[in-house]
Amino acid sequence: MEKETLRLLCKVNQLALTEEQKDSFLKFMDAREADIKALDAIDTENVERMVHVMPIMTVVREDVEKKLFTRDELQKGAPETMDGYWQVPRVVE
Amino acid sequence: MKKILLDDMILTKELPTSAGSKMLDGYMSPFNAAVVERLTEAGYEIAGKAPVGEFAIDLSGETNFEGKTVSSEDCATVMLDVNGSPRRIAAQNGLVYIKPTYGIVSRFGTVAVACSGECVGVMAKSASECKEVLSVLVGNDERDGTMHADGVCKSALGIKKVKKVALLDMGVKSAELDLARSELEANGIEVASVDAGVIESANAAWNILMCAELCNNVSRFDGIKYGYRAKNYKNLDELYTNSRTEAFGELVKTAILYGSDVLSSNNYMSKYDKAMRVRRVIVEAFTEIFKEYDAVMLPACSKTSYTASDDVFVENKYTAPASVTGLPAVVAGGVQLVGKAFSDGALLDVSAILTKEGK
Amino acid sequence: MRYETVIGLEVHIEMATQSKIFCSCSAKFGGEQNDHVCPACCGMPGMLPVVNKKVVDLGMTAGMMLNCHINRVTTFDKKSYYYPDLPCSYQTTQWFSPVAVNGTVTIETSKGKKDIRIKQIHMEEDAGKLVHDEWTNTTLVDFNRTSVPLIEIVSQPDLSSAEEVVAYLERLRSLLRFAKVSECRMEQGSMRCDVNLSVRPEGSDKLGVRTEMKNMNSISAIERAIAYETARHIDALENGTEELVQETRRWDDIKGKSFAMRNKETAGDYRYFPDPNVMPIVIDDEWFAKIKGTLPEFPEVKKARYIGELGLSDYDATLLTESRALCDCFESAYAECGQAKEAANWLLSDVLNILNKKQMTPDQLTLDGKTLGKLIKLVTDGKVSRPNAKKILAEMFESEIDPAKYAEEQGYIVSSDTGAIEATVREIVIADERSVTDYKSGKEKALMAIFGKCMKALKGNCDPQTLRQMIIDVINSI
Repeated sequence: MEKETLRLLCKVNQLALTEEQKDSFLKFMDAREADIKALDAIDTENVERMVHVMPIMTVVREDVEKKLFTRDELQKGAPETMDGYWQVPRVVE
Repeated sequence: MKKILLDDMILTKELPTSAGSKMLDGYMSPFNAAVVERLTEAGYEIAGKAPVGEFAIDLSGETNFEGKTVSSEDCATVMLDVNGSPRRIAAQNGLVYIKPTYGIVSRFGTVAVACSGECVGVMAKSASECKEVLSVLVGNDERDGTMHADGVCKSALGIKKVKKVALLDMGVKSAELDLARSELEANGIEVASVDAGVIESANAAWNILMCAELCNNVSRFDGIKYGYRAKNYKNLDELYTNSRTEAFGELVKTAILYGSDVLSSNNYMSKYDKAMRVRRVIVEAFTEIFKEYDAVMLPACSKTSYTASDDVFVENKYTAPASVTGLPAVVAGGVQLVGKAFSDGALLDVSAILTKEGK
Repeated sequence: MRYETVIGLEVHIEMATQSKIFCSCSAKFGGEQNDHVCPACCGMPGMLPVVNKKVVDLGMTAGMMLNCHINRVTTFDKKSYYYPDLPCSYQTTQWFSPVAVNGTVTIETSKGKKDIRIKQIHMEEDAGKLVHDEWTNTTLVDFNRTSVPLIEIVSQPDLSSAEEVVAYLERLRSLLRFAKVSECRMEQGSMRCDVNLSVRPEGSDKLGVRTEMKNMNSISAIERAIAYETARHIDALENGTEELVQETRRWDDIKGKSFAMRNKETAGDYRYFPDPNVMPIVIDDEWFAKIKGTLPEFPEVKKARYIGELGLSDYDATLLTESRALCDCFESAYAECGQAKEAANWLLSDVLNILNKKQMTPDQLTLDGKTLGKLIKLVTDGKVSRPNAKKILAEMFESEIDPAKYAEEQGYIVSSDTGAIEATVREIVIADERSVTDYKSGKEKALMAIFGKCMKALKGNCDPQTLRQMIIDVINSI
């Protein structure tokens, strides 16, 4: 993996790595090459992807409204709120 | 009243749930997990929370943000098996753990990490105790959309028998495997060595799937709604980055970045989609073995204890086959038995031989 | 050089459900901030998504109304990005197998009819709402709208002018309101539209650089945004004023300009993958047929039938077919009373008046058509006078009543004893010599005074036409 790719990966995932951590992650990625090789060795040409391991279909619920929680319960552990809103630094569009 | 412990991946209203992460230090859930409701109704007393490694993906709890380690308690513990950690702990400490068939125990109220494979299971001193607790946990929950119908869930504890076992040593030579083999054979169970084939590569697929799902699931931890928020930030972007950077440990950061990489549009087909296809190939490999055998015996780990140089993404080679397929797995007597879907009860029954219960 | 504009639309429509798409919180518009919220839709750990069946019903309905192919196996996927209005930092949407694909919508403009191809319709969850607080210079987050079910209708780039875009949007609105998928109210944000626009020399088959515009809150804002963006593109091509780049732009209706949104280096790669927590939804033949059976007649088919078979005027038929609720009420009223024109008149004048006073839209009409039909019958049978019938109608909006029974209770039944009515009229006419003289000398107005007195004495229980004639007859007879 290129350093630039790692920089972008960190950015999209909102993480900052030290130089040392970056090096160690790049080593981790090198080690994953063995995984990729192992997968490539398996023929999956005519195999359908498997998202769910169990063949369960169409789990739906009826359209019934339920109020189970109060705002106070949900905001009890919030770092910052104001007038019942969660509060964050100003978003710049 | 019977006491029970819950690992810290299971949300409780009365006790904080940290998932082993600084991100959720002191986090109080506004609701109880489904398994907590079931246990309480069945008369169990929740004795406390057992620590876990950060988001339960490590070897055996070593990445807990407070450095807490799992100590063996007198009562059974309900634990979320994300990446095999409870199975390794059981194997190295002479305990029994069952990761049940996927979709028979509700995941409602567990901290989601790798939803396509993780299961709520039970750790105890004996297979019979595991079975007793598991019988309380199984059953449909309409709040978890990945579950089997109630009757199907319960059929997993029904009467089935393990008569023929395939041994996949996965290159591990261990005294436990040899011993387990001879004990099974002594009890009239046929054991035959079988080549693991593609099952050897289960963790290559699982590492991709697990990290991708983890990356997505822990992206909700952003310092805004609850949990850890960095002290210093100048704008929203810094709030996000500083909070996540300061709160997540190195293994979780690694998993996030790897998971994000395999899902990127450049890699999706060659890595993520490939892993999903290999998942099916592995499921089919097990189906093939189960045409002739009732269960598969394989190691749960490669050594009796770990050091800092051990890598969970390599060591999970033994637990990944059951994680990636959703098949039930029981660790007992230091070895692992993986069975057909819904053969959970039968696996525990045969495991009793390995722990010499009733003798 | 002459240029042509190539436009494709992404239209987001909030579906008319009681609860949200993956949790049971209220999906209603408004409410106090963060009141329609649970751990699932504010991003707390532990809850799992369970799909609201009504959402799939409405997704299929929308697909069928827009002539789409319905995917019999439809699945949900996750789309990742960080933004404070997205509590889980992912949106659950449909990427790999949306509920409906390959449809068409026929629009009509001054240039005639045109088919606009629909690429796909997918179901997804809405994001929350951000409010900027000037006092603290912070952003406040409200998750009431988070996870409210949406369908996104993606068109092919088949539109070429603001006029076509408006016709397309109005057609979508009409069809989806008719099928009760959504109220499609732009002012409440239940219908929103992103415009993908590019410009190319006329006749060229190569598409120009495309920009996506967001944040238009009305049809007229969309028209202004298209005009502005088209001019900006042409100016860039002709005069090299700027280099066009593929980007997302925010329309500022007050400034009348579009602005590039903060450029995210990473935008565009949303790392979609199938949601492991939502099992595939299989639409079997029974389910498919059930939804197909609930589809309404298209508005223009209804309109033609109202004119051709029921003899309504073009004007009345047009007004009625603007609202499914009006049509439903009209059709059952007509079935009850057998008089289409009467039923249309009552709906389009009296009923709409009442709705207006109540500040309700025709779509919010809940009046039972059968009851209205009964009332109309009472009037046309001469059993209740029109003025009294209006009072009964007003009451029908307040409580559940049977018109005939209510008329009786209130003494609104027209007396069939014409002798008694005539006696009352004669009494009043004789007592009002002056009005009679005035009337006879040609002052038509004088008749109204007598008419009013008679009506009052009869408590309105007389057909106005009959009464008027009776008064004239009595005057002439004395």
